[in-house]
Parts: sequence; C-alpha cells; structure tokens
Amino acid sequence: MADASIEFKGSSFTLSVLHLKTPKTADIHADLVKKIAQAPDFFYLVPVVVNIEQLTCSVDYQAIKALIEELKFTFVGFTGSVDKEQRALIRELGFSFVNTAKANTSAKSTTSKQNHAVKEASSAVIASQGHLYTDKVHRGQIRSGQQVYAKDQNLVVIGSVSAGAEVIADGNIHVYGSLRGRAIAGAKGHHKAQIYCQNLEAELVSINGNYWLSESIEEHWGTPVYIHLNDNELTSSKLI
Amino acid sequence: MARIIVVTSGKGGVGKTTSSAAIGLGLALKGHKVVLIDFDIGLRNLDLIMGCERRVVYDFVNVINGEATLNQALIKDKRVSSLSILPASQTRDKDALNKENVGKVLAELGESYDFIVCDSPAGIEAGAMMALYYADEAVVTTNPEVSSVRDSDRILGMLASRSRRAELGLEPIKEHLLLTRYSPKRVEEGEMLSVEDVEDILSIPLLGVIPESQAVLKASNAGEPVILDTESDAGQAYQDVIERLLGETVDFRFLQAEKKGIFSRLFGG
Repeated sequence: MADASIEFKGSSFTLSVLHLKTPKTADIHADLVKKIAQAPDFFYLVPVVVNIEQLTCSVDYQAIKALIEELKFTFVGFTGSVDKEQRALIRELGFSFVNTAKANTSAKSTTSKQNHAVKEASSAVIASQGHLYTDKVHRGQIRSGQQVYAKDQNLVVIGSVSAGAEVIADGNIHVYGSLRGRAIAGAKGHHKAQIYCQNLEAELVSINGNYWLSESIEEHWGTPVYIHLNDNELTSSKLI
Repeated sequence: MARIIVVTSGKGGVGKTTSSAAIGLGLALKGHKVVLIDFDIGLRNLDLIMGCERRVVYDFVNVINGEATLNQALIKDKRVSSLSILPASQTRDKDALNKENVGKVLAELGESYDFIVCDSPAGIEAGAMMALYYADEAVVTTNPEVSSVRDSDRILGMLASRSRRAELGLEPIKEHLLLTRYSPKRVEEGEMLSVEDVEDILSIPLLGVIPESQAVLKASNAGEPVILDTESDAGQAYQDVIERLLGETVDFRFLQAEKKGIFSRLFGG
C-alpha cells in the first residue's frame, strides 16, 4: 500500500481570497484589471480562491473561472458559506469547494451567515492529508440494523453503538458510550483517522482498510480506548 | 385521547401476547376503558389467551374492509365490562391491513376508549410495522437472552425511525422495557443475562420484570390472563407493571433467587 514515489501530506498556506459583491462578470473584470494595474507583478500567477458568500443570486461559475485565468491568476476553487445545493452544483461543474478554517467572512455579510460560518469553523478540524473535516453529531443510541455514515466528516456519537449497527466516517469516529457494533473510520482512505470510544466491545473496527474482528481485540476489551494506525498496523491505546 | 400502546419484540415467542393480555386486562381492572387489538393476522392467538375464541364472529380485517362495523367485531370481555377485544383474522394474511384504514379504525376506537393495546406479530415486516406505526408508547418485550435483546434493539430502531411520530417529527414513542421469563437463579449461575445487562444494552427505562413461572402456561391454556392469578409471582409482577404504566413508582420484585428455608430443604419444596 505504501507508494514509494509519492506521499500526501497536509500543510496550511495563505491564499488570496477574492470576495465577489456582484455576479456581473463585466464589472468584476473591469475592477480586477484596475487592481492589477496597481501592482502587475504582485498578482501574476497568484493562487486565488473566490468567495461567493455575498452574492444573493446565482453566478456563472465557469465564466468567473475563465475570467480569473484570463487575468493570469491561478484559480484554486470557490469558498464561502453557501447552501448544500450550491456546493453540489459547484462540484458538479468540476470546481473544488474550499472550506475555510477560520471565520473570515466580510463585515458586510449578515449575522446569520456569520454565525453559520463561525459554527462551521469551530467544529472544523484540518486532517493531516489536507482534508478539512467537520463533525457530524448523532445524539442517542445507534440501534442494531441502523447505519450512520459521516461523508467527508468526523462522526461523533453521543450514545452507544449497538451490536449489529454500523458507523462509518471518512474522518474520525468518537463514541461517547459503548461501541458494540462495527466502526469504520477513514473510509475513503485516510491513514491518520482514529476511533475513540468509552467502552470497546466492537464486532469490527477498521481504519483505512485495516481491520480487527472482535476476536482480535484482546488487550483493551471493555475499556475506554482509542484505535489508530501505527505504520499501517492497527494499534489500541488506553484513553484514560 | 386514548393512549395507544404497542406490545412488540422483534423476536417471536418471548411473551408478547401473554403480556398484551395481562396489560389490557390489568388496565381494565383499574377501571379504564381498554381495547385489545390482535395485529397478528393469520396467526390469531390473543382471543385464545383471553378465553373468547368461541365468540369471534367478525374480525379486524372485516372491519378494515368495511364488511363489519367496529361494534359488530368487538368482543366484550366477560370478566371486566370495560375491556373489549378486536380479534385477528385466521384466514387472511398480514397484507390485508393498510396504514390508512388502520388509522381510521384506531381513531374511531380512540373516541371511546382510554387505552388501545396493540399486540404486534413477531418480525420486522409489514405486520409488525403496522402495529407500531400509530403507537404513542411501546412495551418492548424481551427475554434475558442475547438474540432476543438484539431483536429488541432492532425494533427500538424501527420505533425511532418508522413510526408515525418519527415520520411527522413529533415527540418520540415512549419506550418501556419489559423483561419476561426471568430466572434470578439462572442469572446467579451466569446462564442468563441480568436485568442490568439488558438495561445496559438497550438503555431504555425498565417497566417490569416477569419471573419465569409455571402459572403463565397454565393461564394461557385456561384462557385466563395470568394477571388474574394473584397468587402467582408472574401475576403480581404484571400488576406492578400496570401500576408503573399508570405513573406509580413500585419497587421491583422477584429479582433475587429465593433462599431456600429449612422446611423447603427438608421437604424438597
């Protein structure tokens, strides 16, 4: 599984964010040209993320990207606190949607939008592979036969996971109760994902495709524990 | 508004019908107007346990299909006048019920009764879903045994996701755990799950613990719900269940194995 020729690692970079206040591409173009004229070298090939939060109506994403590239920026993706449909649309068009790690909404955005962004940011964790994971929180027990999947998120279960139930997350899994069912963390391939639980009695635990059946869990059975990968080997450690 | 209580379990043979009969009769004995509905279409048992099998003329399916009125189908209990039974059909299958018509029947019953007790069939298919769909409360009947506990867990998941209350986003169904066929002696010997084990796995409030008892089989065969057998430990445990359903706090009994006294040792009691 280890690829000798490449390795993915996560790092933080400072990127320029372009806040759009109008969907009119002609106006944006004109203002950008003016801006570039002030310092042509500074803006040359600068990576740019486009924030569309302040826009009240939809915008031609493809035209925006073309415009950015025409002016010799490097287009990275879109950002801003927008609804799910809009995000899905952006992804469908083949552009990446970048989540912000901090609430950096402009002063003009409405308070509700700000609250939303702050909430989103406070629960956000930057995973080591450059993913930005938020938490999906499930309150109550997950019963036999039920399945909960936190897509591109961490999963937090405030309750127990029953035998015969399945919890899956692309990020980490936290169970603030007994883990008796199956837990699959790092489902999309993420070797730093971890599983935390207050009481380990799982049928199966899996991280990034490496798994243990309950019969392999000996050392920390019935205790608070977290499970992680150590050189691609599943390892369990005492939580407290 | 009547309280609609479903007696359910997932697994078969754990004592749903016995418990339904005891709860229905027990509530009626307290002076409430109660109707017991047998949802186990095709495997009609409740009327046998209630001892009214010879008086079945019309059944639940006839009412659903408009072939009989509720008054024609309801059987008045001979022991307690405030109790009625709506028997299941022996000749039809569970597909004979549909949500809309069941809802209408329950609404009509709700106008004149305080409690509607629904005896659910086993399994997690259409019949069991129909029985729990309109429920306000659920008595999850469980034996202290792993497969029964697992099935009860599954049913609890269904109560929380497939019921009318769940679909409409109303207050969730009130869940009660009823542990049946409990044998403190076997728990002490480590052969059976304890009350604490089951409570820990299912994490819902305990409504009652019914001890394993010879009286239950005797009562079933006689068509006299075991709650009438006030001498038996099972009958007394069901009476405690009724008190708790009506909001009273009652200590749990029959959780410890009986210590054999000198006489019973001598005479093999």
